[in-house]
Amino acid sequence: MRVTQMMLSTSSLKHISQGYNRLANLQDQLATGKRITKASQDPVVAMKGMRYRSQVTEVGQFQRNLREVYNWVDSADSALDEATQTVQRIRELATQASNDTYEATQRANIAKEVKQLREHLQSLANTKVSNKYIFNGTNTTNPPIIDDSKMNLGIAVLNNSAAENLDQYNVTYGGQTFRYVGESGDGNRIFQDIRQIGKEPVFGEEGFEQKAYQLIVEEDGNVTFSEPNKTIGATEPITKVIRQDDIVVSDRAAVSVNTQTVEIELMKGVTIPVNIDASKVFSTALFGDIIRLEQALENPSLEGKDLTGYIDDMFGHIDYLVAERAELGARVNRVEMIENRLMEQNVFAKRIMSDNEDVDLERVIIDLTTQESVHRAALAVGARVIQPSLIDFLR
Amino acid sequence: MKSTFHGLETARRAMMTQQYALHTTGHNIANANTPGYTRQRVNFTQTEPYPNVGMNRPMLPGHLGTGVKAGSIQRVREHFLDVQFRNENNKAGYYGAKYESLTRMEGILNEPSEQGLASLIDQFWGAMQDLNGDADDSGARAVARRRAEEIANTFQYLNSSLTTVQDDYKAEIDVTIKAANSLLEQLNNVNKQIRSAEPHGYVPNDLYDEQDRILDQLSQIVDIETKREKSSGQPNNVAEGAVSVFMKLPNGEKLQLIDGTNGEALKKFNEEMDYSEGAFNELTFVDINGNGTDDESIKFDKLARGELKALIEAFGYISADGSTKGTYPEMLTNLNEMALQFATEMNNIHSIGFTLNAVGEPSELGGAFFEFDPANAAATLKVHSDIMGNLNKITAAGVNKDALTTDARAEYETLMKEFPKNYERIRELLSDDGSYRNPDIPKSFSGDGSNALLMSNAKDTLMNFNGQTATIKSFYQSVIGEMAVKTQEAGRMLGSSESLRGNVEFQRQSVSNVSLDEEMTMMIQFQHAYNAAARNITMVDEMLDRIINGMGVVGR
Repeated sequence: MRVTQMMLSTSSLKHISQGYNRLANLQDQLATGKRITKASQDPVVAMKGMRYRSQVTEVGQFQRNLREVYNWVDSADSALDEATQTVQRIRELATQASNDTYEATQRANIAKEVKQLREHLQSLANTKVSNKYIFNGTNTTNPPIIDDSKMNLGIAVLNNSAAENLDQYNVTYGGQTFRYVGESGDGNRIFQDIRQIGKEPVFGEEGFEQKAYQLIVEEDGNVTFSEPNKTIGATEPITKVIRQDDIVVSDRAAVSVNTQTVEIELMKGVTIPVNIDASKVFSTALFGDIIRLEQALENPSLEGKDLTGYIDDMFGHIDYLVAERAELGARVNRVEMIENRLMEQNVFAKRIMSDNEDVDLERVIIDLTTQESVHRAALAVGARVIQPSLIDFLR
Repeated sequence: MKSTFHGLETARRAMMTQQYALHTTGHNIANANTPGYTRQRVNFTQTEPYPNVGMNRPMLPGHLGTGVKAGSIQRVREHFLDVQFRNENNKAGYYGAKYESLTRMEGILNEPSEQGLASLIDQFWGAMQDLNGDADDSGARAVARRRAEEIANTFQYLNSSLTTVQDDYKAEIDVTIKAANSLLEQLNNVNKQIRSAEPHGYVPNDLYDEQDRILDQLSQIVDIETKREKSSGQPNNVAEGAVSVFMKLPNGEKLQLIDGTNGEALKKFNEEMDYSEGAFNELTFVDINGNGTDDESIKFDKLARGELKALIEAFGYISADGSTKGTYPEMLTNLNEMALQFATEMNNIHSIGFTLNAVGEPSELGGAFFEFDPANAAATLKVHSDIMGNLNKITAAGVNKDALTTDARAEYETLMKEFPKNYERIRELLSDDGSYRNPDIPKSFSGDGSNALLMSNAKDTLMNFNGQTATIKSFYQSVIGEMAVKTQEAGRMLGSSESLRGNVEFQRQSVSNVSLDEEMTMMIQFQHAYNAAARNITMVDEMLDRIINGMGVVGR
């Protein structure tokens, strides 16, 4: 084959230019730490990369969401802890007061302390975390308890209000909350325990009288409490007339009425409710029972044994608080499990992403040195093949 | 009886011919670096020996040589290599333009990267997640809006960049057509010159070179086949002839563009391209005077391979079934579809949520999140002006279910569990005052981010992209993946056709390229022959001197 000067120069140039191309590619890889800078260099790596990067972003975001979740549940837990201790204290005071050695004036002083503790409970219900009220469902910009005068409207409203407005009142007695269900034939207004409302027995149907926990408010203001008789063979309910200052009427909106959950996503498709249902713990029943206790303490005609019922009511509320905290604790456990899972996922997702698109630095550096020597050789060869020609030797 | 001056004539011819050879060597050396130059050689032929055959020929002991003449000057070239070269050059032209168009697109889309659309969609998702956890926070709202703006801006940017490049391609198609026409005209003129020279026995080597150079250039633009036409009259037997050029169509047909025997039969591409709906429709032809011909017009699927085809493929063409196809139009369609589906889904979800309950502006059912023209979504996508004007208009909150009547609540909960959701009905339900128990109960709460959560999860919602069911990310991935595979393939084909072309070019140069060493060697050879012929004349001169001046002087 005939080979000419020009052919040698052309192929020298071609080889040198190819060398530069490979060097440029290696330079890209070293500078970015990525195997590819353009999708076409390896479409599979590019497509997988997009998916893996998405995963890394998602896990990172879920870990960010975790902080928000902990923010909510930890604050709620500590507030509930304090609320439990406060109610415990109220129970202790009630126990002290039920001792007959206390006089009316001393009881009135205890009542003052109980009132203070009740106000403390109100401020706990209005706990704010990073500018959000955490015990008001999704209504985080407003405090749940704004006007504590709505907590004790006085029994008179039950007879003064029009019937259609009556269901906005909660009536508290003995740890139970009653709500208006209708008027009986003789003009009495019937209030039923809210736990029974919407289930059996239904007002106006057979057996209501026997089975319902109800308060019967007569037009003259007398209040009768009636509950089913659990004794075997009994047919008639147990009724008792109660003191008028022993029931507390409060506006339903006096406490949080928002039952919506605030949900935060912690894994694909897994959302965790982060708030507790405040209407269950900081309820009108809790505040109503404390107000009943205050009124009973201020009532000089009562004796010690009349106060024991209130102690039991407080026990009931402590149980509610503890149950809610247990539920919250279970949720925290679940969140912690998810947190561990996310940590693993984070490592895993990053590793997969890195395996897919990051360069093996040692290999690239070795490639670079190899390519460098090849390139130098090409340059050296270029310098040698563009040789003096015959012309230089013809004289 | 031979002539006394026979030797002089023989030597003169030798000198003349060696001179020719030396001049040709000079021409070769001069053109050693001229692209497309083919080295030439002088074909030495012996002149007729003496005596000729005839009635009264003298009886000599043998045939006496009468010297040499330059029979012809011929190019040293291998036509078969030209055919191979043009074939590979054509492929390299096609894949080169295709690769270039795809890499430009790849550069615009810039995936995978931290700034690409894919990562922006992820960031938007994250901002919506943050908004879910912090629904009443104006900071979280501002970030979510900013992320949405970035997505909208990116769609607009991609759309306008791709459109700009597409317009560039239109201009480039026009330039390429003009270039091809100019090459055809040049070739036709060279043909004319060849046809006027050859019948007289001339061998216009430099015109042949010109011809081959033009054909090389033309082969890059369209796939061609050539045929040499023998000239009439008395052409030299090394004359190569004018060239007829045919365009090779993919269906095996050929279309004659240049007739080597008739310079008037030139056919050119019509520079008034037929575009319909912004895409290439068909190629038509004009004759030498620029009038239309009755040739069948050529649609894309019948177009010959080459740079022109690749440019048209990038710019967009009307395919056989009447739809617009092509690299850029298809990408633009995909982006439009993506923008449309994404924005529609976002608007749907946004319109069943509630705005923030702020002082002086009570919470209300939301409007659109994005505004866009459905016919051209990517180019017109923006965050809705209401939201741009007021962050509180982002509907992070869902409805307060406690405010709904029992029936409405049951229906709402059923509707929200459905897939795909009937947004129209949900919106109807939520905008109907009869669905709410009491106008005083707030319809939503500021701390509720459930609708923001829905919006973030739209990232994983299956949507319908022109009949392809996918999530927005997986659809985008498939679009990018397809483009990457095409680019890679074009790059590979370009590499292989370039390297084959390089090989053929190397072989061609091996045959035709000027080697200076070779020329120097020849030069010395011819120079010595020339000098020897001159010495021969001196010798004959001395013989004649002997005859003329040295004879008949006996006894002087």
